[in-house]
Amino acid sequence: MLLLDYQNALIQSLLTERFSGYALFLPLSTATPRIVYRSPRSRHPANKLDSEHPPPPLTKWFPTSTYGAQEVLEREYGPYIVSPEPGYDFSVQVDLENLPAEEEARNVLIMKLALLKRNAMAAPFERAFDEFNKLAEEASRYTSESAPQGIQEGGEVMAIHYREEEAIYIKANWDRVTVIFSTVFREETDRIFGKVFLQEFVDARRRVLTLQNAPQVLFRNDPPLELANVPGLSAPGGEVSYVTFVLFPRHLTPQRRYENISHIQTFRDYFHYHIKASKAYIHTRMRKRTADFLQVLNRARPENEERERKTASGRTFRVQG
Amino acid sequence: MSQSLRPYLQAVRSSLTAALTISNFASQTSERHNCPEVEANSSPEILLNPLHISRNENEKVKIEPSYNSVRISIRIKQADEIEHILVHKFTRFLTQRAESFFILRRKPVEGYDISFLITNFHTEKMLTHKLIDFVIEFMEEVDKEISEMKLFLNARARFVAESFLTPFD
Repeated sequence: MLLLDYQNALIQSLLTERFSGYALFLPLSTATPRIVYRSPRSRHPANKLDSEHPPPPLTKWFPTSTYGAQEVLEREYGPYIVSPEPGYDFSVQVDLENLPAEEEARNVLIMKLALLKRNAMAAPFERAFDEFNKLAEEASRYTSESAPQGIQEGGEVMAIHYREEEAIYIKANWDRVTVIFSTVFREETDRIFGKVFLQEFVDARRRVLTLQNAPQVLFRNDPPLELANVPGLSAPGGEVSYVTFVLFPRHLTPQRRYENISHIQTFRDYFHYHIKASKAYIHTRMRKRTADFLQVLNRARPENEERERKTASGRTFRVQG
Repeated sequence: MSQSLRPYLQAVRSSLTAALTISNFASQTSERHNCPEVEANSSPEILLNPLHISRNENEKVKIEPSYNSVRISIRIKQADEIEHILVHKFTRFLTQRAESFFILRRKPVEGYDISFLITNFHTEKMLTHKLIDFVIEFMEEVDKEISEMKLFLNARARFVAESFLTPFD
């Protein structure tokens, strides 16, 4: 498993199980059983056993009303949206009695619900891509010298605070869309491993011929110029690193759009996952090497195991201590 | 083995062989005590002159002999911060298992990465020349291991970066 999946595996497996019909045979009508599914993104209220309520923690990322998130979610989940439960921003409800009849349609629905996080986070990306199209069209009417100020500078910076202290910033320009990840390394080892990995991300495009069309990657430890006007960034020289992806027009075409949005969202998890995996591998390697050293050291200990001594007639005797 | 490594290890081996002529010696200061004098540092006449063997400024060995014990400290090559962190992780991993390594010191001597303490009790129970073999092999292998781990990290990083960027095409 090199690349990460885009959907939430927990929601997917949970819904697959519920949709399969097996769950209907659980004692639903009795008063006592309380089945409550709790996960970061799905919660099942005890009194509505035939429906699913996976609300995303949208508040922490950005308000649902901004960046067109509400429209994107309505487009994706139209008929399933219900009024949000208290403490959540968004709820969907699926009636298990009225599921799509065909297996395939059901799987599509499961996938759609499992991609809830992806879809919610896609809103600012989609907005930035649209903004890029608009700016590109406007800019095509001017030469680079005579372009008015607004086009040169590009659109506003949109922030998704998808984790505490970490965020994705998206900015559209007339010739590109810049996606900036800020990421925190808690430990010295992570920081150095991260540096090695990021350096390879930067170099990959230059080194490999087939990757000439990939987005340009840059990384630095102080906030990039695009984020000059964003408040609340930590001072340079801290634990925060900034990784910039520059998406060029060929990544922003309508055909590539869906895939690229999904893919770039997984960057942070992918990156940290592989740092952890390398650490784990190096750990097992050190364990093995330590065992080897121990073996070498044990050679220094003479074997002084007492062998049983026998007389010529075959009788054994023991030396009295 | 590279040309400069061989004489370095040979020098360490001969110096260790010479230093490891140790015998039992009870403490002069407190009755019924018997501790490694190189650590206790109780009287100067029992300590011998420490030896430094250096291959370059980053790789060196310090051998501190005394009447009943020898302390060997090794500084492992660290060319950049990746190697530094790998050496740090590896030596920490080893010192956490010092119990099973008998002669390994839990804490390295200041300025070195890892220290061994061989006392007369070790040389009485174990074969001295094999102990020296262990120290030499350790020095050889640890460099190799560190550079292999570094290569692995770079290779993995390269592979990971390329596979992430490929779907964008």
